[in-house]
Amino acid sequence: MQPQLKSKVRCADREVGEVSKIIMDPLSHEVSHLVVSMNGAGERQVSMGAVQTVTSELVQLRSSSSEVMGLPPFKRDDYVTVHEVEIPGLEKHIHVTPGEVLVPFPELERNVKRRTFFAKLTYVTGLFIGLPLVFPVVKFLMKPMYAPLDNGWLKIGNIGKVKAEDVGTQFQYNRIVKEVYMPEAEVEKNVWLVKATPAVLEKVYQGKDREFRDAAGKAIWTNKKDMPYIAFSGKCPHLGCAYKWRKHKMLGQVFLCPCHLSIYDASGKVLDGPAPRPLDLLPIQVSANGDVQIIDMEFKAGTNSQTRIV
Amino acid sequence: MNDTPSAGAQSTVAEKVFTFVDERVGLKLLAAKMLNESVPGGSRWAYVFGSILLFIFSMQAVTGVLLMFYYVPTADHAYDSTQYILHNVDYGWFLLSYHFWGSSAMVLCVFAHMSQVFLWGAYKKPRELIWLVGLALFALVMAFGFTGYLLPWDQRAYWATTVGVEIVDKVPVLGDFMARFLKGGATPGQMTLSRFFVIHVMVLPASLIALAGLHLFLFRCAGPAGPFRGTPTELKAKTDYFFPRQIWKDVVGMAVVFACISAMAFWEPVVLLEEATPDPGDYHPEPEWYFLFMFQHLRLKMFSGEFGQFLASIALPGALGVVLILLPFFDRNPERNIFKRPVALIGWVMLTASILLFTVSAIINRSFLD
Repeated sequence: MQPQLKSKVRCADREVGEVSKIIMDPLSHEVSHLVVSMNGAGERQVSMGAVQTVTSELVQLRSSSSEVMGLPPFKRDDYVTVHEVEIPGLEKHIHVTPGEVLVPFPELERNVKRRTFFAKLTYVTGLFIGLPLVFPVVKFLMKPMYAPLDNGWLKIGNIGKVKAEDVGTQFQYNRIVKEVYMPEAEVEKNVWLVKATPAVLEKVYQGKDREFRDAAGKAIWTNKKDMPYIAFSGKCPHLGCAYKWRKHKMLGQVFLCPCHLSIYDASGKVLDGPAPRPLDLLPIQVSANGDVQIIDMEFKAGTNSQTRIV
Repeated sequence: MNDTPSAGAQSTVAEKVFTFVDERVGLKLLAAKMLNESVPGGSRWAYVFGSILLFIFSMQAVTGVLLMFYYVPTADHAYDSTQYILHNVDYGWFLLSYHFWGSSAMVLCVFAHMSQVFLWGAYKKPRELIWLVGLALFALVMAFGFTGYLLPWDQRAYWATTVGVEIVDKVPVLGDFMARFLKGGATPGQMTLSRFFVIHVMVLPASLIALAGLHLFLFRCAGPAGPFRGTPTELKAKTDYFFPRQIWKDVVGMAVVFACISAMAFWEPVVLLEEATPDPGDYHPEPEWYFLFMFQHLRLKMFSGEFGQFLASIALPGALGVVLILLPFFDRNPERNIFKRPVALIGWVMLTASILLFTVSAIINRSFLD
């Protein structure tokens, strides 16, 4: 047990005084010294190493009374009280108070069952307030998340811009966007057009017309397999950056995405890099006077299969 | 606490005010408690990073609030208001650039702080909870960087967000919902800007203040770990209080960091690119430097395809996160000396080296793109 304040201190030969202060080590959390009030002859600091036994009323020292008297007087200025120092877990380690300090538990609070009831009532009230709010809050935050898809045709320029076969030509266009309460705004976008030779067309369509359907499965448009103009969404199917038509040292003219270096040929097929699928084909029509129209679709990047999100 | 000088005729007004407050809240005792904390083995320069992080955060809060006096978080005004701060408002360029470079300093110091705790073995029992809350704080700091990046609404902002949110989309099951939730729709726009803004200026600061408070509280409960070498007697002989030696070192650290951030803001002030649009023109999208290693390893052939991308962008960082969370629970060996913990040392060196390697290779790669 730890020495208590006010305990009598007995040396090997006789009683010398009582414990007036206790000194602890802030790192080890152990009592390191006792301060003994020497019956009016000042205070001495005694190491715990000199203590033989501790009982509830008595601290027995190994040293003689003359040895203790011979110790230098206790220097209060070398110490601070534990109240003035941050010592983690102080109460857990030091039990030197001579008895507990108490305050009465109020009369009305002595019914334990009722306290438990009110503690639980607090949780119930919290749930009562919180639970009905969950759904409205989630709906509140989700409002703009799932906008319907737009299948309107968008004029993006004239096909006369495409000069050579199997070469990527960028068409930049402005799309009018009306986002919730915001005024209408023009957003710059781009798609890539390729006038494909039959060999490239075969790679793109593999002998079959390409049908586009809406979310409900209804057909929107069919790209004919022998129509030489193909349009790719400007968004890289890897992670959604914008790719370019570039010359590559080994692979010749290719579509190259500068973000993560995915490389595609003129048919949109992945030649190199991390892309999971070919470039995304868009519905396209070219009128007699050369006007190009597309349905401006965007697909989720990074997936093996296409998931339309715009 | 009876040694307070009584408010006699000789005390000045300041002393009277101090005494008045002290009588009511115990100011002296509070200050003593804050400052008199034993630092086992004495103060060290290695311990300065926590205080520095608190300092950087305070400065980010101050500069951030100032920026909001002019900044407008709408798709049609965010870019113009940021340009206005940079070019028209007196010292706007400095405050914005300080805020920008402050975020880099924050990431660097978080890395230093975590490394110090890791190498010193200070996450071990009884400090597991401090470590866990620290990891949450680390996540918040990265989220601050990611959300703040969009706010100027230039091309850099737009593309970092586009790619970043596509990565969030790769989380199994919840990914699509999370990505749409962050964007407030299918593509980045006004809703994205609104969401990132409120997350950046309200949600994250409130969370960070709460968790940083908890972090400090838990730290005070457990006490500083001290050095990993030395007998109890040696440690005790060198022990001092938090004030003044450690605080002095912390303050010097803060001053150095302040000077560095200011110097960067002065010599490399923020310059915006074109306004955000889904057509990047000649711009090659790239994230902020502290996400470059991630960006670069997504380029690897071994991380190609849907599964490869999931592996690189979600599974591996997620696994690293789980390892860090579980670290204090499976690493039960009380040995804290890093030179006697070879696995920990090799792990740290390898992780740091690979982050450096990928960052540098991303920078070298730039020159091949033009």
